[in-house]
Amino acid sequence: MAEWVAAADLTRCPPGNMLGVEVEGHPILLANVDGDVYAVEDRCSHEDYPLSDGELEGTEVECIYHGARFDVCSGRATCLPAIRPVKTYEVDVRDGTIYVRLGD
Amino acid sequence: MPQNEVIEGLGLDEYKYGFVDEEQHVFRTRPGLDEEIVRQISAQKEEPEWMLEFRLKALKIYESKPMPTWGGDLSELEDTLDQIYFYVRPSERMGTSWDEVPENIKRTYERLGIPEAEQKVLAGLGAQYESEMVYHSLKEEWEAQGVIFDSIEDGLRKHPELFRKYFATVVPPGDNKFAALNSAVWSGGSFVYIPPGVELDTPLQAYFRVNQERMGQFERTLIIADENSRAHYIEGCTAPVYSTESFHSGVIEIVVLPGAHFRYTTIQNWSNNMYNLVTQRALVHRGAAMEWLDGNLGSKLTMKYPSCYLVGEGAHGSILSIAYAGDGQHQDTGGKVVHAAPNTSSTIVSKSISKGHGRSSYRGLCKVYEGAVNSRSNVECDALLINETSRTDTYPYIEIEEKRASVGHEATVSKVGDEQLFYLMSRGMSEEEAMALIVRGFIEPIAKELPLEYAVELNKLIELEMEGSVG
Amino acid sequence: MTEASVIETSAPAEGVTETLNREAVERAAAQEPTWLAERRAHAWDVYERTPLPSTKLEEWRYTDVRRLLDLDALTPAPRPEAGTGEALLEGLDGLPAGLRAVMAEDREAAGHVAIVDGCVRHVDLSDELARQGIVLTSLARAVQLHPELLEEHLATHAVPPEEGKFQALNAALWADGVFLYVPAGASLDLPVRVSRWLSGGGLAVFSRTLIVAEAGARVSFVDEIVSDDLDAQSLESSVVEVIARDGAQVQYVSLQRLGHRAFYQAAQRTLAGRDATLDTLNVSLGASVARVDLNARLLGPGANSDMLGLYFGDGDQHFDHNTSQDHEAPNAHSDLLYKGALDGHAHAVFRGIIRVHEGAQGTDAYQTNRNLILSEHARADSLPNLEIEADDVRCSHGATVGQLDQETLFYLMSRGIPQQPAERLVVMGFLGEVLSRLPLGGVVDKVTRAIEVKLRHG
Repeated sequence: MAEWVAAADLTRCPPGNMLGVEVEGHPILLANVDGDVYAVEDRCSHEDYPLSDGELEGTEVECIYHGARFDVCSGRATCLPAIRPVKTYEVDVRDGTIYVRLGD
Repeated sequence: MPQNEVIEGLGLDEYKYGFVDEEQHVFRTRPGLDEEIVRQISAQKEEPEWMLEFRLKALKIYESKPMPTWGGDLSELEDTLDQIYFYVRPSERMGTSWDEVPENIKRTYERLGIPEAEQKVLAGLGAQYESEMVYHSLKEEWEAQGVIFDSIEDGLRKHPELFRKYFATVVPPGDNKFAALNSAVWSGGSFVYIPPGVELDTPLQAYFRVNQERMGQFERTLIIADENSRAHYIEGCTAPVYSTESFHSGVIEIVVLPGAHFRYTTIQNWSNNMYNLVTQRALVHRGAAMEWLDGNLGSKLTMKYPSCYLVGEGAHGSILSIAYAGDGQHQDTGGKVVHAAPNTSSTIVSKSISKGHGRSSYRGLCKVYEGAVNSRSNVECDALLINETSRTDTYPYIEIEEKRASVGHEATVSKVGDEQLFYLMSRGMSEEEAMALIVRGFIEPIAKELPLEYAVELNKLIELEMEGSVG
Repeated sequence: MTEASVIETSAPAEGVTETLNREAVERAAAQEPTWLAERRAHAWDVYERTPLPSTKLEEWRYTDVRRLLDLDALTPAPRPEAGTGEALLEGLDGLPAGLRAVMAEDREAAGHVAIVDGCVRHVDLSDELARQGIVLTSLARAVQLHPELLEEHLATHAVPPEEGKFQALNAALWADGVFLYVPAGASLDLPVRVSRWLSGGGLAVFSRTLIVAEAGARVSFVDEIVSDDLDAQSLESSVVEVIARDGAQVQYVSLQRLGHRAFYQAAQRTLAGRDATLDTLNVSLGASVARVDLNARLLGPGANSDMLGLYFGDGDQHFDHNTSQDHEAPNAHSDLLYKGALDGHAHAVFRGIIRVHEGAQGTDAYQTNRNLILSEHARADSLPNLEIEADDVRCSHGATVGQLDQETLFYLMSRGIPQQPAERLVVMGFLGEVLSRLPLGGVVDKVTRAIEVKLRHG
């Protein structure tokens, strides 16, 4: 089972905000939805652009490049031109630090 | 005031009251585009707050996106965009005088045998009242079945929930610069809903609806074909549409729910000062089928790639397209099919003709995602060149991630063969007649799919276009 | 502030590293004639001001060099020692065993060249051919012996540095390469064989090939590159310039069998004069990443180019073939056929364009790309393009992506052939079509064997 890895200080990703980080070579998008932090792959499933360049609205991140949207909780694509989901990661917040589990 | 000038300038008394609705408040925005203008448009339409916000956000996206550097030459478009009126109420837009309509367009109408009243409609001079009766009787029949066929404005007003559920989910403002522009300033277009299981034999024709809100510069159409329904929508016409406006940027969104079958036919023949940049896309669910039949004639530059996103198992997409690029025109058209579910199938057939210094380009995408097993796609592009100076290009993108898929693309380029011409001329035809016959034969596989009146007009139009093409 | 100081204070140009820099170019040019030193310096200027290709560029859309290549980790391979002119003809014994094994199969040849890490270590050509005026030598030596020919043709009208980032880098830093000159009317019955070896990881190898066939000359050239699997990434950069004058007949074959972690980058251009025939075959089997740019220019009326390609990818191999057929004269003919099979997680990109320029009436141009996907995770992208600016032409292209022909497979199995060998037969039958169109001695066998090895391991 993969280890928990520190991704960022919670202060860098306050509620309603997102943050793109690189964790052990994986681009990861952290999104703070009303105090709950979610993590998905920071790469749009449409043309691979970073989602962290876009905007967070509620639970949805919108890719700035072609308008595709994803639910940050489930990774599901909610608007064309994206069809496929983005990968999600487990998140834990302890002592003001956001940890993610990279999986196998 | 423009209103008075228009009426006086017409000199055609019988139309004086025919097209200016005295009770309607005449309104148009000043040239150019900014937040204030977007607010004005939304206020004019008395829209809900969410739509205003949607428009304003789209404006920001439009402003942040660079002009595309691919496709056609858009280098002069920036200047055009500074000068155009982004919103003109329909009554105002019709304020052109018959005298201003270019001679060649008038001649074409006559040669095509288009009735006078219809000529005025095409030239942007009036609405076609005769068709209203036909439309009304059909409309009653449709309403009895629960079909909604309204202007897009009425759709938003009368069916807010249905509208909001699907609007901009197929083409989001961020998709491309012109989708963003349309999202900011859209006006006119259709809202269509076909209830589950309803099958319509008579095509829904936007043509019938001209009196409500003429197809605008930034028309927006949203169509939802509910489960197991079947319908055909037709818009546009083969005769040249004259407009003083030089920019048209539409967005057409179609949602084809499971088991439904929808066909969208559009033939557009813009006058050759027009930039025609359209995003039209269908989301096709399980067991559903979408067919685009797309004809592009005229315009200065058309960039238009009807798309089918096949997201449900067994979905089918088909795109048939004809492009005709006359002297000085560039048709950059094609189609996109995206296979994202098993057992999906698609076909694209594209035929283009380039004449004089005309240029037609096919640009297409066929994408098969991993997991879309047993998907099949076939693309055929044929280009016909009439003159030495004519040009054609083919730019397909084929992206295949799935082993159990079968994808083929073929394109050919040819010119009208001397042998064919000599043979036909030896049978007593003039060279121009022979040329027209060969061109008609070339597009026949697609023309035969058109409604009869369109096919007849298209044929006549080709005859006209082939005049002066030889020698 | 002067312009120069502005440049100095700005951020370093992309792709300039601890070892790939202007000093390296100056060292390379130290003992060279002025024209060549200037040419290198100019190429470096072009390199510095050309950004590293990104996937936002159409031609690099599917090959992310920024992710796939780490220039900072590379050191240019040592250059040939100055004055090695006569020491070239070293015995084959000193060569790496892997290279000797490759060469052992190539006895039938008009001449041989052996190259290790871009430096020529051995050249032989029969006396009889030399007497006809045929020249086969290292590029470093040709600079001294044939300066006029090199000054005219090297990195000028075939592959100038302005063609792109890698082309500029190669023109600035090339260490050595092959020069073949065939005078008017001379004819070689057997191929010239070049065998290259890449010895290890962490290297950047820049090598060039210049082939000039004068009017009516006839020659074929087989260029093979091989290595073991590497412990770290190496860049093998190859620029190939082939010039066929009026009526000349040239066949150029490239056979790439590099090992894992090699990044192979090749830029090839062929210039075909009036009634010349200039055929090419590119076989890509090895390397982790292989990017091949081939541009065939048909410059004289009646010129003819057959362009063949074959690739077989497995593991995580990434192949990107980018071809163009430029018809710049009337009545020329070109026919391209690239076929590939993809196993494992391999990804192949084919982008090809036929350009029929204004006035190139009577053009016949064809382009076909066919892909076979053998595994769940393989991927093929195909972009066959046409740009036609003349009307009296016959042009067509076709592309397919699909799986093994099931009917043939069932037929073979119904005749008692087990599934795996039957699949191998179908794949070989599919790819064999390419080889059968340019059956140079030895190449067909070598490629067939290499593919069979891959199929067994797959």
